[in-house]
Amino acid sequence: MKKMARGQVQEMKKSRTMLGLAGAVLPALCAFWGQTAQAGEETVVLRVCSWEEYIDLGEWDADEAIALDNGRVIYGEKPLYEDFEDWYKETYGRDVRVEYSCFGTNEDLYNQLNIGDTYDLVCPSEYMIMKLMAEKKLVPYSDGFYDVQDVNNFYIRNVSPYIQKTLETNEIGGESWSKYAAGYMWGITGVLYNPELVTEEEASTWKIFGNPKFNRQITLKDNVRDSYFAALGILRAQELTDENFVRAANYHERLADVMNDVHPETIAQAQELLDELMDNVYSLETDSGKADMITGKIVANYQWSGDAVYAMDQADEDDFELKFAVPKESTNLWFDGWVMLQNGIEGDADRQHAAEAFVNFVSRPDNAVRNMYYIGYTSSIAGTAEDDTIYEYMKWCYGAQDDDVELMDYPVGYFFSGDNSDADYILQSTQDQMGRQLYSQYPPQDVMDRTAIMRYFDADANKAINRMWINVRCFDIADVPAGVWMALLAALLFVISAMYQRSRRR
Amino acid sequence: MNRFRFQRSQLCIPYGLFLVCFVLAPLVVIIYYAFTNGEGQFTLENLTGFFSSPNTIGTLAYSLGIAVSTTCTCLLLAYPIAYILARSRMKHKSVILMVFVMPMWINFTLRITALKEILTVIEGNLAYHPFLNTLIGMTYDFLPFMILPLYTTLLKLDGSLLEAAADLGADTVQTFLKVTFPLSVPGIISGIVMVFLPSMTNYVVLDMLYNSTYIMGSLIGAYFSAYDWHNGSMIALILLVIILLFTLFTNRYADEDAGSSRGGVLGQ
Repeated sequence: MKKMARGQVQEMKKSRTMLGLAGAVLPALCAFWGQTAQAGEETVVLRVCSWEEYIDLGEWDADEAIALDNGRVIYGEKPLYEDFEDWYKETYGRDVRVEYSCFGTNEDLYNQLNIGDTYDLVCPSEYMIMKLMAEKKLVPYSDGFYDVQDVNNFYIRNVSPYIQKTLETNEIGGESWSKYAAGYMWGITGVLYNPELVTEEEASTWKIFGNPKFNRQITLKDNVRDSYFAALGILRAQELTDENFVRAANYHERLADVMNDVHPETIAQAQELLDELMDNVYSLETDSGKADMITGKIVANYQWSGDAVYAMDQADEDDFELKFAVPKESTNLWFDGWVMLQNGIEGDADRQHAAEAFVNFVSRPDNAVRNMYYIGYTSSIAGTAEDDTIYEYMKWCYGAQDDDVELMDYPVGYFFSGDNSDADYILQSTQDQMGRQLYSQYPPQDVMDRTAIMRYFDADANKAINRMWINVRCFDIADVPAGVWMALLAALLFVISAMYQRSRRR
Repeated sequence: MNRFRFQRSQLCIPYGLFLVCFVLAPLVVIIYYAFTNGEGQFTLENLTGFFSSPNTIGTLAYSLGIAVSTTCTCLLLAYPIAYILARSRMKHKSVILMVFVMPMWINFTLRITALKEILTVIEGNLAYHPFLNTLIGMTYDFLPFMILPLYTTLLKLDGSLLEAAADLGADTVQTFLKVTFPLSVPGIISGIVMVFLPSMTNYVVLDMLYNSTYIMGSLIGAYFSAYDWHNGSMIALILLVIILLFTLFTNRYADEDAGSSRGGVLGQ
């Protein structure tokens, strides 16, 4: 990019007119630069890049304010990053300006970084974090960030023990993820279905995508990782649901290995299977599946838990019930996390401090609730016994209200305190919430037990898997019916003879 | 500083800069990526890989299939309409023409979404006829681009030529085949160019109408999101060459026809 700009300047110099023009513009430009440079001395500029619609942008209606039982009122007036600027000034007495921008997919972000875009703080998914970690592009969080004594360290004080443990136990290159990444939102994958036409049992397996009963009425996800995960779930279903396998002491390690199997034979098998599935599904989608479930075009679709919640909420407004099932073989635990980039921070202590403060600010329980309300996904923040805003919010969303219906215990201690029998975190809910929003947003422990994280694929495996996916998606020339070939041949002969006659007439 | 002297040629400077920055420079980058591998060494593997894989060739065939059938459908639909509109003595021709062109004023995504719902009502389940749906969507999208050039060409057609043909004993079919049709060839060709080229790569229509098969445009996207800029660039380059050949071919015929009709019919 820099080379191009220089070429542009040289081109300009050739022209006398342009030179005159440049003469007029240059002083103005210099003055402008001078100004920004001056501002730069006092204000830290923090360049944040995250998913679209992935932070509360404020402007809530007055009646949207959430009054929780613990006395807290949650209300978003301004975008959260603008609130951060005020909070930083108040807390640390320094000016910070956030330049907030968005990316579309993890791959887009990676390509942007490769082209030379610089950001200080980005929020990609777990596998992209692994890739960036492996390529040594990240800055580790400072020791101060993990100091639980500091009242402004909202992240480490409030993060869910479940999420933090996951980050700590997963390593790449001998370093645990928690050193570089702070969890933001998380979820699992499963099947959103219409309970009138699909039974819970039918939806609770990845095999539903090959089920001829729902021919052309189910959708898969339009990305290779999610589809490959489902394919592995089907290929290894027998092993994954086997009692001996599930009960084994090293179940989790073995599960992770199976769901990250990238042997060439496995990839070939997956391609064959996905080819078959393509003939059974309605389409591959990223976004349209939610609307198509609500309008009834399809009866089941591969869905991320957060989007499933959104679709169920929307359907409820039309008095139409949708449910979410988690396949019994395994489910993909995914999360997005904040990481600091080396080429953005560049060893600047002020900027790193601002970046860490930003992560802390969005992790403050009331801000986490604002984000959850706005985005619809589940935050990695759980809160503490002193500040139970998150748990109160969960109660506000899903707690039972009627006294006459039969209540059931819904323990979520695994997420909030690390102990699922913790009496403080047993929500009173109703049976009909099972398979619904609460179940999708905070799945019960038995579902969490069969989650697997899908790691990033190394260069060779990545190439093979993408090649496999392209093969699945491309049109195979062997599929062209003989009649079409004949028609083409006839048309070609016709054109050639017409051209020949034409040239003879001349 | 020298005295300012304006020359007309200096007016090209803004466009020249635009051309260098946004057309030539990216093209050089594409060519560089197309002929190198991950290590930055020169290679022809991307090129041979494209032509040796049945899947990428299949994608090319599928894209061409969509483009050819869309163009033919558009031509068959548009020609009679353009002919009738241009030849009729209706007072409010422009109003009727506007009805055909009006869809272009409505947002593209909105139109395809509406079409999706209409097709669902007609077909029930869209997933059974992906190719047909794509064809309908593309035709819906590109039809105005075919009607307009045909209409303008046919409108400019000299009525006295048709009278002369009739005077010399040609019936209506002969007049059409020997006079009207040859004279409208330039319109047909510019219509084909306007429809054929974009319909080869417009994968948004496919995505929105649930056709999950890749065409050239989506294949390039797939390679780029797999960080494989080299194969992606090669496919973009191959597409560019195809389009270039196609344009050269149609231009030659357009020139020939324009020349012959001028010389032959007007007898200069």
